[in-house]
Formats: sequence, structure tokens, C-alpha cells
Amino acid sequence: MTNNIKEENNNSSIMMKPNKTRDIIEKIVETIFFLCAMVSVVSVIAIIVFVFYKGVAPFVGNNAYSFFDFISGVKWDPNHNEYGVFYMIVASILATIGAIIIGVPIGLLTAVFIAEIAPKSLVNIVKPGVELLAGIPSVIYGAFGLGVIVPLINKISPEPQGQSLLAVICVLTIMILPTIISLSEATLKAVPNSYREASLGLGASKTQTIFRAVIPAAKSGILSATVLGIGRAIGETMAVMMIAGNPIGGIPMSIWDKVRPLTTNIAMEMSYASGRHQEMLFATGVILFAFIMIVNITLIKITSKAGEK
Amino acid sequence: MSNEVSKFSVQELDLYYSNFQALKKINMEIQEKEITAFIGPSGCGKSTFLKTINRMNDLVEGVKVDGKIYLDGVDIYKDIDVIKLRSRVGMVFQQPNPFPMSIYDNVAYGPRIHGIKKKSVLDEIVEKSLRQAAIWDEVKDKLKKSARAVSGGQQQRICIARTLAVEPEVILMDEPTSALDPISTLKIEDLAVELKEQYTIIIVTHNMQQASRISDKTAFFLTGEVIEYGKTEQIFNTPKNKKTEDYITGRFG
Amino acid sequence: MNSRKLKDSILQGLIYFSAAFTIFILTVIIGFILYKGVPGINLHFLTRQWEEKTTFVRVDKVAEPKDSDKEGYVSSLDITLKKDKEGNLYISKIGSDSSLDSAVDMLGQSFKVKSDDKLSKVDSNDLSELSVADAVKMINQSQDNMRLKITRPGGGIVPMLVSTIYIILLSLVIAAPIGILSAIYLNEYAKPGKILNAIRFAIQNLAGIPSIIYGLFGMLIFVQYFGMGYSILAGALTLSIILLPTIISTTEEALKAIPQTYRESSLGLGATKLQTNYKIILPNALPGILVAIILSIGRIVGESAALMLTAGTVAQIPTAITGNEAGAATLTIKLYMLMKEEGDIATACSIAIILLALIIVLNITSKVITRRFLKKQGI
Repeated sequence: MTNNIKEENNNSSIMMKPNKTRDIIEKIVETIFFLCAMVSVVSVIAIIVFVFYKGVAPFVGNNAYSFFDFISGVKWDPNHNEYGVFYMIVASILATIGAIIIGVPIGLLTAVFIAEIAPKSLVNIVKPGVELLAGIPSVIYGAFGLGVIVPLINKISPEPQGQSLLAVICVLTIMILPTIISLSEATLKAVPNSYREASLGLGASKTQTIFRAVIPAAKSGILSATVLGIGRAIGETMAVMMIAGNPIGGIPMSIWDKVRPLTTNIAMEMSYASGRHQEMLFATGVILFAFIMIVNITLIKITSKAGEK
Repeated sequence: MSNEVSKFSVQELDLYYSNFQALKKINMEIQEKEITAFIGPSGCGKSTFLKTINRMNDLVEGVKVDGKIYLDGVDIYKDIDVIKLRSRVGMVFQQPNPFPMSIYDNVAYGPRIHGIKKKSVLDEIVEKSLRQAAIWDEVKDKLKKSARAVSGGQQQRICIARTLAVEPEVILMDEPTSALDPISTLKIEDLAVELKEQYTIIIVTHNMQQASRISDKTAFFLTGEVIEYGKTEQIFNTPKNKKTEDYITGRFG
Repeated sequence: MNSRKLKDSILQGLIYFSAAFTIFILTVIIGFILYKGVPGINLHFLTRQWEEKTTFVRVDKVAEPKDSDKEGYVSSLDITLKKDKEGNLYISKIGSDSSLDSAVDMLGQSFKVKSDDKLSKVDSNDLSELSVADAVKMINQSQDNMRLKITRPGGGIVPMLVSTIYIILLSLVIAAPIGILSAIYLNEYAKPGKILNAIRFAIQNLAGIPSIIYGLFGMLIFVQYFGMGYSILAGALTLSIILLPTIISTTEEALKAIPQTYRESSLGLGATKLQTNYKIILPNALPGILVAIILSIGRIVGESAALMLTAGTVAQIPTAITGNEAGAATLTIKLYMLMKEEGDIATACSIAIILLALIIVLNITSKVITRRFLKKQGI
């Protein structure tokens, strides 16, 4: 190199000439990187387009199925060309609400325990525990639901079976716990210490400080944790499929009733469905997708708002 | 001093960060094999100007440059090779920032990216550069150790060696001693004076004693303008401008 | 003052209760799985095929039959026979002279008989009703070149383990480069603006889509449209999309943690952007990238809904990447099938133990890497 540079110095203006080949290579590489980044965009668009394309098909053209019958129907009987998903929508919503009502408070308080109260020795037990919960595959939760929760419910239920809305709520509650806990903990930790000091300085007790100063300051993070929890609960499939009972119709009237959430409807029948039946499962996917989009956009809104602050 | 050669010639240089004008109508001739110091209060544009000289400002979003900077008569904001420009105009930063690799690999980084693979050649360059940076004796036994495991002053001299290894003609130093203790600072200053035998050095500093100790020329910046530029002795002893006088006598800044 | 104290204690009680509840649930789940699953875990479970497989083979006698005092020893073949608990005759030991490891199946392919294989017929003589001694006699009386009915026992998870590993490798080969390069683009190249916003919006949305929707998409596009059938490639392609958000965001975090001055110094020394990325950025982001890959492996190991619709439910070792030979049930899918279709909780829980062990190992590995990395940064 010594020689190269010395030589080129003799004629400064030649040396400063742009290196076209190298610049082109740099540009090509940047383009490759860009194309990789576009894979995500293309994937989202492709998923939306194809799922919708298949899912809208049964409602258009000759011999179209009434969309109103689909969305308001309470019976799913492919053999008799009956495709109603209203009772599934109700099941999905009820199961999600149930899991959120129980799971969010428990998750939040566990996060408070980890972030605010627990001595280090206990944190070292609870935190890896939560991480393990987060990593457990959903089929194992399903196995646990079917092997433990369903038989327990069966003992106390007025209905003949243990598979029920209640079982679904129990398992979903457990499944959203790690999401709620780890996200809430992160936001609680991000609350500046000055808030705590100010509150304690005003004579508030530690508990008051947590509930009056720290949690309100972490509100938006807790909210996005909740929304993520909703997303996870509404989209969960395999665990729920094992414990829901999956009836062919009927709006659940009590927590002991069997239910058939949207996700399980798709997963149960997809492998052998064809023709209209298959398209109707995609249509179920479209409804599920609509819910997920609402959740996603809410989440993006919340996080970007929090970012602005 | 009669046969002064202009290394850089800056003409009517304006620089904007989106809407904010950070540099206003800068005109300056910078001489070869001298130390030129830029002084001035924080935010006066001296560091910004330093970074326009090797086009490091290209990395900042929304920067616009008007006017001309000639390096040996070539306009560096025309259609030129920025990569080669930066090989000719090296830079030493405020914080010592060796890469998280061994001392040897740090110094060999530049030669390697410019295509030198032969071990014997690299060995030679590394030793020569470390000697030039006056740190060879302190690190010659731990070349394979992490460059981040030595003291701050040593790290900065390794960074200088890293810059020298590319064999630049100009070395830009952006407050190179602001993070260092007084003894390390003196070492770097001595080094700068030694290096000017071979290199053109431009140094940004907050420390006026430093400027007066080591530089041949001094430019005083204020709110994006060059208020006064001239021989260091003259700037410090008989400043022509009232603002310069106020600044060097410590009345503001 | 007293009511405040009461309120405080109630709230504190609730906090402790919640944390205890969380740990209690975890303990119950793990306890249940261990209780049901541990009895089924043994060497056979880990090393055998899932399905029993019967093969007819031809072997030659290696010695003239003679009586032996060792019970069950067949001198003509140099093997030892035993009966298992169910009364099936099996080969407990194959001697060094035996011709059984160079047997030939009916298609003329060589077939290595292993110890533990069950033996139920010699030529046309059924051995299953005979005592060990009678069976030995029957074999010794057979002609020099005899035909044996060999049944290799099943009940092991080898196919699911292999399928899971194949899908992990295939998914990572596809998703890791795309995800890492995406992250580098987003962090090192992209300028703020509409395109960057669109990419970020897409990634955020991908992260929120439930896996059953990915399954629908993968089934429609990869399984049906591209005609891959239920196959490990269809499964891996679907999983690759699922993994992208995790890989991108984890890698990006690592990139963000690299001090800006490293980039400036490298560029200031006359390195190009590509050289800087390759020599400075990538090596420094490596621990983060490793964590991203470990998280991805965890996700793949735990994934089920998307795989059920794309890779199928057959317990076999895939021998192709598309088509019928490539359909493969992973551990999770098999667990589900056992639980739901066969009601075999015990075996399902044995698989669950394997899954849990994998997850714990992955969790610890990523912790170790992160901790090492932090330590290194601390210098």
C-alpha cells in the first residue's frame, strides 16, 4: 500500500476520481439488503391478499353463500352447506375477555412483585420461571388443560363434559401470563426512580407509591401488554382446540358450555376440507384476521404514542 | 514561512442541518505540515467544519453543503471518491474509540481494508505506526490483547496509530484530549508536534492553552462564522477582533 | 392511619398471591408432565423409530448346529434369543460370527439385523407360539439359507426428533440471512421516510399474526399452489416468515447497541460501508444474532398450528424436502396427535418432557451468551 498511495499522490486529481466498480458493488449490496427487508412487506401483503381472496370467494358469483348468514349463523355443518360463525365469534370474544380479566391483574401484580418488591433471591426464582412459562409450547398447555383442568371442571360442572368455555379461559389465562408479566415488568422498571422518591418523600407508603405513582406512570406499557395478551389469546389455536369441545353450533350460555373459537374451527377441519368447505375455513380466517388487525393497529398506535411522549 | 503551500483552500462554505445554518461563508487557507487549531465555544461550528473536511458529515441526515473545499486543488464536494478522500484525510475522535479487537488488529484494520494481506507487510506497518504514535514501547508485548483493556490515553494513541497506518496526508483531531488526564494530554500534544513534520494536522480544541502550545495557526469560530484566523502568536497576543479578545481572555465561552 | 395500613397489607397480600400463583401454575404444569411422562422415558423412547417395521430377510447359516448350554443360543446363526414381557421372541445378542448383519431383504438390498429386533418366523414356520428352546431347535433345523421375519420395534421418537431438526435447519437457512440482512438494512442503510415506515409497519404486523393464519397461507401457497404437498420445505418456508420479526428485531437491538463511533472510525479510515458492515458491525452484533437464532429455534420447537397445516402429521423421517416422502410430524404435532386423537396422555407427556428440556437448554444458552456479551462490553 505504501507504494500505491505514494504513486497516486503524484497526481492528486486522478487519485480522487470515483471508483465506479466499487460504488456499483456497494449499490448492489445495498439493494440486496433492501430486498431482504422487503420480504417482510411482501409477506404481509401476500398473506392478506391470498387469505382474503380465498375467504371472499364463497360470497360472490353464482351460488354465492349469503355473507349475512355466515356472519350471523349459529350452526356449522359443512355436510348440509350450513356455515355460521357467529357462535364462534362470541366464543373467541368471551374466552379472550375472560382470560384478560383474570390474567392481567395477576400478571401485573406478579410484575410488580418482580420489579418493585421481591428481594434478589426471589427474583432469581420467579423470573426464570416466567421465562420458562413463555417458552412452553402451546400443545403442552393443551395437554395440561386436557389432563388436569378438564377433569377438574368435569367434577364440578353441571354439564356432562369438562371441555368448556371455563377450561379455555383457564388455559388462555395461563398462556397470556408470561406476556403480561414480562412486558409490564419492563415498563415498571423504566419508570424513573425520582417518581418513587418523590412519592415516598411525600410520606406515602411503599405500597401506595407503587399503586399511586409507579403503576400510573407505566400505564401505556401495561396497556400494550394487555393488547398483546389479547392478540395472543384470540389467536391461540392448538391448546384451545384440545379443551374447547368444539360443538357444531350454539352460542355458549354459561362457562360450562362447550365452545368453538374461530381458530380451532380452521385447524380442526382444514386438513380434509375441500371446495366451498375449504373456502369457508378461509373466510373464518378472514374474520380472525379482522380481529387481529384491530389488535395490531391498536398496539402500534399505543406504542407510537408512548414513543412521542 | 515564505514558501507556504496551501493544503486546503476553503471558499464561501455554507452548511445547513435541514433548516439550521451551522456554517456561514467560511473562507480559509490551511497550510501543509502545520498544526491548525480551531477554537471557540460549544456549538460554534468548529467540529462541524472539521467533519466537512473529510466529508464525515455525509453520514448525518439532511446535511447540505454549499461552497467549495479544495484539497491540493481538487474540489472534494465535486464528483470524487469519498473513500479515497478519507484515506488521505484521517480522523481522530473525541472519545478514544478503539474497535473491540486486539491492538494489532486495530492498527492493521485500515491497511487490511485497503487490500494488504501479507503478514510481514502488516507487521511492519503496525510497528511503524505504533512507533510514530509513541506507544510502541508500552504495548509491544501485548499486541494481541484487547485494545480496550489499556488506559484512556494509551487507547487514544492507539487510535492515532490506527489513523497513521492508512498513511494519510492530513490528520483531523476532534478534541482528542478532552477525555484524558493531564499527563496523557501532554503526551498527545507532544505527539502532534512531532507528527507535523510529516502530516498536516487540524485540531479542534476547547483548551486554549493547548491551541497556543502546539498550533501554528488558529481560527476562532463563533456561531458558525470564522471571526478571526491567523498565526497563533498573533491571535493570542494581539487579537484584532474584540470578540476574539473577549474569548481568549476568558470573558465568555 | 389504620385503614391505610389495612389497605396496604391487602394490596401487598395480593401481590404476593399473584407471584405465588404464577409459580404454582408453573410447578403444577411441570409436575403433571413429569408425573405422567417420566415412566415412558427410556433409551428405547429416545432411540427407536415410531412405527414397528417388519422385514423379511434371507441369511445363511454360519456353523453346523450343535447343542449349547447357554439358554436361547442359536449356534447355527451365532445369535441369542429371548422373550420379552409380552412373550415376543427377540434377538438379544448377535455374535461376532453371525451373518445377520449382512442379511439381504426380499428386494436384494442388504439389511442389517440389530439386537432388539423381534423374530417371529423362520421360512414358513411360526415361532411366536414356541418356547425359546423350541424356537432355537426350529432355526437350527432349517435349511442353510433361511428366510426370517424380522420386526424392528417402534415406540421411539427418533422420526419426530429428526423432523424437528430438519425443519429447524431448513427454516434458519432461509430466515436467518433474510432477517439479519433486513436488520442491517433498517439500521445501517435506510433513511427515514415512507419506505422505512412501511417496512416497520409490516414487521410489526407480521409479529401479531397468529400462527394458524400463517398455516392457512402456507397451505394455500406452498402446499397447494407450489405443489410441495405436506412437506418439511412447505413447513420451513411458512416458519421462515413467522421467524422474520423475531430475528429482525433482536438483530436490530444488537446493531443499535454498537457505538456510533465504531462506524465513524471505520469510515474515517477509508473503509466503505460494506467493509464497515462486514468487519465491524457484523462481528460486534454476533452475540445478538446468536440470541436471535436461539429464540428462533425455541419458536420452531414450540410451533404447532402452522406446521400441522404445512408439514403434516406423519411420523416418519423425511427423505425429501417436498412431496410425500417429505411430510413430517414434529415433536409438538405428535404430542397433539397423541393427546387428541389417541388419548395417550403418558406418551404425550414423555414427549413434553423432551420439549421442556429443549426449551430450558435454549433459555440457558441465550442467557449465557447475553451475560458473556455484557461482560465483554464492560471492559
